[in-house]
Amino acid sequence: MKNTLISILSIFFIFACSSTPVEKVDVQETKTVDLTASKEQTSDDGVVMNSVDVGEAYVTILFDYDDETLREDSLEELFSISRLMKSNSKYTLLIEGHADERGTREYNLALSERRAKAVEDFLTATGVSSFNIEVVGYGEEMPVDAKSNESAWSKNRRAELFFIK
Amino acid sequence: MKKFLVLLFLSFNFYGDLVLEITESASKPIKIAILEKNVNSISGQEIIRIVSNDLSRTGEFEVLSNDELLSVPTNENEVIQRDWLLLNVDSIVFIDVQDKDNSLDISYSIFDISYNDTEDKRRVLGLPDSLRQSSHYVSDGIYKFFYGIEGISSTKLMYVTKNSNIHRLIVSDSDGFNEQVLLKSNSSIISPAWSSDSQQISYVSFENNRAQVFTQNLATGKRELIISSKSSVSSPAWSPNNKELAFTSTKDGNSEIYVINLANKKITRLTENLAIDTEPAWSPDGKKIIFTSDRSGSPQIYEINVRTKLKRRLTTVGSYNARASYLNKNEIIMVHRSLSDFNIARLNLDTRELQVLTSTKNDESPCIAPNGNVIIYSTKDGNLSYLAGINLSSKVSFRLPALYGELKEPSWSPFIR
Repeated sequence: MKNTLISILSIFFIFACSSTPVEKVDVQETKTVDLTASKEQTSDDGVVMNSVDVGEAYVTILFDYDDETLREDSLEELFSISRLMKSNSKYTLLIEGHADERGTREYNLALSERRAKAVEDFLTATGVSSFNIEVVGYGEEMPVDAKSNESAWSKNRRAELFFIK
Repeated sequence: MKKFLVLLFLSFNFYGDLVLEITESASKPIKIAILEKNVNSISGQEIIRIVSNDLSRTGEFEVLSNDELLSVPTNENEVIQRDWLLLNVDSIVFIDVQDKDNSLDISYSIFDISYNDTEDKRRVLGLPDSLRQSSHYVSDGIYKFFYGIEGISSTKLMYVTKNSNIHRLIVSDSDGFNEQVLLKSNSSIISPAWSSDSQQISYVSFENNRAQVFTQNLATGKRELIISSKSSVSSPAWSPNNKELAFTSTKDGNSEIYVINLANKKITRLTENLAIDTEPAWSPDGKKIIFTSDRSGSPQIYEINVRTKLKRRLTTVGSYNARASYLNKNEIIMVHRSLSDFNIARLNLDTRELQVLTSTKNDESPCIAPNGNVIIYSTKDGNLSYLAGINLSSKVSFRLPALYGELKEPSWSPFIR
């Protein structure tokens, strides 16, 4: 019984016949949904998402502010990943995009996904099959450094690449 | 079992109530006293305490404490006008409480000192356990009498807290009391939004390792995924008639705005280009949606007619304008980058006048109170986010410091009526 019924109040107006306006108060309930208890989280469409522990990122690619352009210093690492993936088609790569905290959360979510896409596009352009790549954006939700300064922001604007089975 | 549930509820209070601090008061707050009519009662004194706090918290009232009074009338006839003129008091609010077994009956009247006459009389009826909410209604009635704007003490606030990696979506009364956890998760929760009848909410949850939009019924806790997709789905916004939900998804390759009809699940795509399109918000009449797009190279605000799909760009000043919402037909509130700071700004769509409302560094997630006069947003102090707000007409500003972990993503309920 993790869900707790708690009542909250909701209010509606009634107008009494007298000249004094009267407002009447009514009671409504809310319920808690607790997802922290079960390890396995089920999405409502019935698909059980196994939260794979992917461990440390194989490679981290950094980006400039509000930008998804791959920097020149990232290309060498990406070429080596491309070679690795083409030599073994069993590899599946997960690319997680991230943003720094500045600006709005939703825009950062879109930006982070576009960063992950930029890495995917580079790899597919070099001949890696897109079937072996998954991309996901986490926006500003998972910073590696939670501080509010340029050094932290530059580390947080990133794409993390993981090999998954 | 019942007792256990009650204890569990009490233990929720461990992470505390919101505390609102006025950082800047109105230049000339209205001075009032709130007194109980006839005899003092326990519930009457409690109501006066709640109403006084509500009104003081607006920054637009100065409520006299008992020891400041020169005389204590128990009804209108006992008011000695010169005592109150000496104190510069505008009005006395008399509260009369009938606390019966099965009902709470509050009458209140506003006695104007300079006219020496009663100006307004109202009544609030509730169940005995509705003392707090009934009191908020008294506060809202008093507020509206003096300012002509609906009061918001009786509304709710929804927000997200993060404490030791546990994320909670919480709803509380606007004074921070009565906090209730709607969702508790190990993963991020962002963009909470109310349905316009305040029976349902929607939000983005990362519980399945990607952004997904859920709707949740407040009373039953029943959750529904709006669409099943391997791509991210985010930024939910209920249409004013509650029948549709606008959202953002990358399901067709890049982030675009869609509208889903909640009854038949029919999805309409509104945007189509290679840029980021996100953060949809409906116009008050439900005919248009404003959104953020970086199609020009930087995030700017655009407006689209939902039926004709005609678009126009609304922002022209600044390199970063995002997360806009309509304040009214002619004005929007948004996040605007001025120099290196991200602030909350107000833009008049007719005159193009841009007014930056805040001065902290990383302000985001602005949300407009249902009376259209108070903006709440989230900002940062060091590494912790907390909530802050501003009253547009009185310029009163306030903050709700985070007492535990982070406090962010505020969403103000509609009027709960």
